[in-house]
Amino acid sequence: MTHMSDTTPELASWDSHTRRLIMLYVPLGCFMLILLFPFYWMAITAFKPNGELLDYKTNNPFWIHSPTLDNIRKLLFDTEYPRWLVTTMGVAFGATAIALVASVLAAYAIQRLRFKGSKWVGLAIYLAYLVPPSILFIPLAQVIFSFGLFDSPMALILSYPTFLIPFCTWLLIGYFKSIPYELEECALIDGASRLQILRRITLPLAVPGLISAGIFAFTLSWNEFIYALAFISSSEKKTVPVAILTELVQGDVYQWGALMAGALLGSLPVAVFYSFFVEYYVSSLTGAVKE
Amino acid sequence: MNIITRRSVLATGTAAAASLALPNFAMSAIPVVDATPPKLPIENGATLRVLRPTKFVGPDEEIFRENIAKFTAQTGVAVRVDFVGWEDLRPQVGVAANTGAGPDVVVGWPDDPHLFSDKLVEVSDIAEYLGKKYGGWYNLAERYGKKWGTNNWISIPMGGSGGPCVYRKSWVKEAGFDSIPTDHAGFLTLVRNLKKIGHPSGFALGNAVGDANSFCHWLLWSHGGYLVDESNKVAINSKETIEALKYARELYPNFIDGTLSWQDPSNNKAFFAEELGMTQNGVSVYFAFKNDPSKAAQAADTDHAPMPLGVSKTRAETALILNAMVFKHSKYPNASKEFIRFMMEQEQYEKWLTGCIGYWAQPLKAYAQSAVWTSDPKIAAYRDTCGMEYWNGFKGPISQASGAATADYVNVQMFAAVASGQATPEEAVREAERRARRFYR
Repeated sequence: MTHMSDTTPELASWDSHTRRLIMLYVPLGCFMLILLFPFYWMAITAFKPNGELLDYKTNNPFWIHSPTLDNIRKLLFDTEYPRWLVTTMGVAFGATAIALVASVLAAYAIQRLRFKGSKWVGLAIYLAYLVPPSILFIPLAQVIFSFGLFDSPMALILSYPTFLIPFCTWLLIGYFKSIPYELEECALIDGASRLQILRRITLPLAVPGLISAGIFAFTLSWNEFIYALAFISSSEKKTVPVAILTELVQGDVYQWGALMAGALLGSLPVAVFYSFFVEYYVSSLTGAVKE
Repeated sequence: MNIITRRSVLATGTAAAASLALPNFAMSAIPVVDATPPKLPIENGATLRVLRPTKFVGPDEEIFRENIAKFTAQTGVAVRVDFVGWEDLRPQVGVAANTGAGPDVVVGWPDDPHLFSDKLVEVSDIAEYLGKKYGGWYNLAERYGKKWGTNNWISIPMGGSGGPCVYRKSWVKEAGFDSIPTDHAGFLTLVRNLKKIGHPSGFALGNAVGDANSFCHWLLWSHGGYLVDESNKVAINSKETIEALKYARELYPNFIDGTLSWQDPSNNKAFFAEELGMTQNGVSVYFAFKNDPSKAAQAADTDHAPMPLGVSKTRAETALILNAMVFKHSKYPNASKEFIRFMMEQEQYEKWLTGCIGYWAQPLKAYAQSAVWTSDPKIAAYRDTCGMEYWNGFKGPISQASGAATADYVNVQMFAAVASGQATPEEAVREAERRARRFYR
């Protein structure tokens, strides 16, 4: 009896089950519905035969009557999807790694070294993030070409940090700000160099922030479209978002089943990645280190 | 350049497999005039990269690859072809033009050569040869192939995709018509009657590149309106446009619900689901039925016809032209031009045209005699697609401005605003005029 009362949250005097239902569970349910419905739609479309997809008069659009694996088979065996997936993953990991290293150094310098004009540098980095890729892709293509990287995954690995670094830097500036400066001062008194402080004190404390920045960078790289479209012209070197459109949209006929299967399989690695680090991710957004 | 890739090996395999496609193909007796091809000695060690839009139907790509394999076998020039999504082609062309890198040959969209004309190799020699040999070029092919106001060819049109009226014969008959009327009043009656019998029509009014532009251009041109005049001055604010807008306001309430947000695949889906009695589209709607054995009756009941002429003397429609161009940055311009010429010769072209079963129509008049156009009488409405007298930005030059005004859906959104009741015809046309002037400065 005592044990049960330990696990059941005690209601405050002003609280009630009805109040909880209305204030908590109903809004939470609505929120979940709005967030998860697109995934549900994507999943059921991936397993629907064409007849059901196109005829909602005789078929319930929200359910599958005769599930099929045809769309998955088409995607995996009639296209080069596995290869696109590997390319996309390589590009996303490469770009994320470069962006994280550069962002850690930039954010630490701006937040901790406190040099003259550091605030303006931070602002300038953020402003760079606001320039839309649709304006940048042609001048950037000229740079990529002059480095001989055109039509190679390296073009994407090196160009994605142009928007990842500003974003991650700003995220990490905020996180570094939450780490007490006194810890670093103690280390300085003990004779540690700046790099030692960064490596042994700041970075271990900033792991949730790094993971958060990494997840954002990975997701942005994974979903990026315009650079991947413009800098890669060979079919086999394309990334998933570009390649599935090329292969599965034929004029005005969209292969919705296979497209959704591609989107579903493409979103799984990101979802798995998130699930491993979700606790760090949340703690980085809520601020984990208290003074 | 590394051209031996898994893809190219696959491509060779596909080409070999494609030779099994259309196994009984025999060339038609099309009228051909003796002509000497231009001397284009292929550069030593030439290899080519070609970029083109993704296939409409399987044979479009398969026979294209098969023809490429033949070209390689005959000339020793290795060709690598990449296919790219329709909407995604233009950014790649823009990058190629601005960086001076990328494919040697781009089979792009109608306006593309006019946007980058200074980056292209002139192809008048092969255009004149092909025109002479194959009965001349259709009107729209000349419009889009030649640099505006000159006789210089900057691209070779390879095909055109049209969008006539697609309808269910039995339902149109039930609505009181044996065929699609050629006048506006009759067409309005048909649209109303189709709604009454529960098989409404539907025409795209969303930002749909193909279908909405086709429909709204038809509305404008068939009433005698046009975006700009011959001197490139914005001329959309006219009584003809107002008439067209009023007519659209009459039509719209009789459409199936949702056409204001329709994209290109929307009418395909609705027609296949048998929710739609009539629409405007390429041949894909019909072939969705034809390729499904369980829909044989629906395929038999589907037919195509030109949209009503209205006050226009010729079909008030245009076509999506497939335009091949050679970039100056190519190290092998002769090989590139020779490649395009080779692909347009009857031995290659007619088989590709036949495989495309009406999705693409020929730009050269002699190919109108190809057996593909009599193989299925229902696709005859697509045969003269490239012979249309209208183009995007009619009556002005094909230019960056005409391309931008079309891409910004100036005309489509004008009609959508009136159809939805958001604006009166007078307000909508003033707004369209203001927007068009931003492009035509």
